[in-house]
Amino acid sequence: MNPLFFGPAETPLYGVHQPPEGKALDAGLVLCYPFGQEYMRAHRAYRQLALLLTKIGFHVLRFDYRGTGDSSGELDDVMAVDWVADVGYAVQELRDVANIRRVGVLGLRLGALIAAEACKARDDIERLILWDPVLSGRQYDAELLAEIAAEHPSPHGPQSGNGEDARGNLSYNGFVLSAAFRASMKKFDLPSAVPPGVPRVLLAVSHETQDFTQLRNAWSRVPGFRYLHAPAPHDWNFVDNFGGILLPQAVIRAIVSWVESTEQP
Amino acid sequence: MKERALRIGRPTPLIGVVSEPEAFDPARPAVIILNSGIMHHVGACRLSVKLARAVAARGLLAARFDYSGIGDSEPRRGTDSFDEVSPRECGEVMDYLEKTRGCRRFILYGLCSGADASYNTALVDPRVIAIAQIDAYCYKTLRFYVEFYRPIVFRLDRWRSFLGRMWRKYSGQGPASSLASQPVPEGEDYEIPTYTRIFPPRALIARGLQKLVARGVRMYVNFTGGEPAYCYQGQYRASFPDVKFGELLRVDYYPQTNHIITQPQYQAQIVQSIASWMAEVPTSGG
Repeated sequence: MNPLFFGPAETPLYGVHQPPEGKALDAGLVLCYPFGQEYMRAHRAYRQLALLLTKIGFHVLRFDYRGTGDSSGELDDVMAVDWVADVGYAVQELRDVANIRRVGVLGLRLGALIAAEACKARDDIERLILWDPVLSGRQYDAELLAEIAAEHPSPHGPQSGNGEDARGNLSYNGFVLSAAFRASMKKFDLPSAVPPGVPRVLLAVSHETQDFTQLRNAWSRVPGFRYLHAPAPHDWNFVDNFGGILLPQAVIRAIVSWVESTEQP
Repeated sequence: MKERALRIGRPTPLIGVVSEPEAFDPARPAVIILNSGIMHHVGACRLSVKLARAVAARGLLAARFDYSGIGDSEPRRGTDSFDEVSPRECGEVMDYLEKTRGCRRFILYGLCSGADASYNTALVDPRVIAIAQIDAYCYKTLRFYVEFYRPIVFRLDRWRSFLGRMWRKYSGQGPASSLASQPVPEGEDYEIPTYTRIFPPRALIARGLQKLVARGVRMYVNFTGGEPAYCYQGQYRASFPDVKFGELLRVDYYPQTNHIITQPQYQAQIVQSIASWMAEVPTSGG
């Protein structure tokens, strides 16, 4: 594992490059994290996914968007479009550091939406993998608000701090989405179009929902599109006191198997 | 402030990040930020990153890293327990910072199991001159019970709940709540810390703290409302009446925030408070 900082000097991004074990393919995958507690809870799953991908010959770069993780900046100063740009920097970095031509992107939850937006902005992405994707920024925002509305905090004892302030900043489980970030994120919408120019698109879901089914139906006739349902836990936003994390093995294995199958002659 | 990625040790390196201040003085203590449970080195709610940067802004070097098998650090071979491994691996990071940056004195920080690791490491490594902890080992006192139950005694909802539990228990309707109603992560799809947090006997910790006091190790202990064994400001000192902390100990209590400090205003307050305290640790301490 090679930790590194990359990207613009004024906004360096932290990432971990994992080179292939054994025979190397001329291919790599950038892993785009979800947001907030989902990011914390998914870190281990991403590490495992990356490890399995390296075993089938892939270079992998998992990285933190600006304002998150070890990357520079604060969330207050970031817009969702900055994260789309960060995916672009990560794609270029992986291409440069690994000296490979074919690079794909994978995202989980909000990371999937960001990855898809990055594909719309570029024409050099070889594959897109959407894992339990958030279908739109507007929907994600509504989901967080609904989660907060459903809470029944005790007036006694410690508080979560979840809620929306007068300026429109949304605090959720320890992370704050600024009003500007939310506005920027709400412009993102997944079902409206298959990212153009991406030869392979995988929709991998751990559970079936009406939204996923609609997305599947909308994209089913697109060449290179594949849908996978691998039942697994998906309580990404669950927060506990002991830092438990989620490792949905079935989805991880299904994604790796699909990637491997696409590389076979 | 500049940040660099770290790979410390061979053949299986510990991975981390160092935050280096603009004007670095190796004579000042360096800060090492430890994992909490199996959360990677970014820390709960990004607290470790925020603390490292706040510390670097005050002129101290700060390193955060993952113990082997956690976060970005791969597992190492061996069967030693976390209690045995953690001081050793933290020592490796100190060795590295001593060799590459000239740092000779260290302040350790940790939350929860990280707090325990900071204490355990300070006990065995004389380079540690101060520790800052959140939700450290603590013990109930007589006043704990008074403080804990006093507000409950006058709350009608608690009495209703208590009487309801008793009625269900003795009327054969089963317990009011059971473990089955709790989300219990288990199986291959979940991972929970293998480190089981059991508070050692109070006398053992008191002896350890006395050792640290004798060495002049400074301690800043913070408690949140998420620590069920703590409920009033003076409880920590009262837990260890025979330890003569004197000026070496500072304790703060934040009853309104939870164990992982999800409220932004408390994140900011706690980070600023700990970073300022670290910057005040005398260079000649320990």
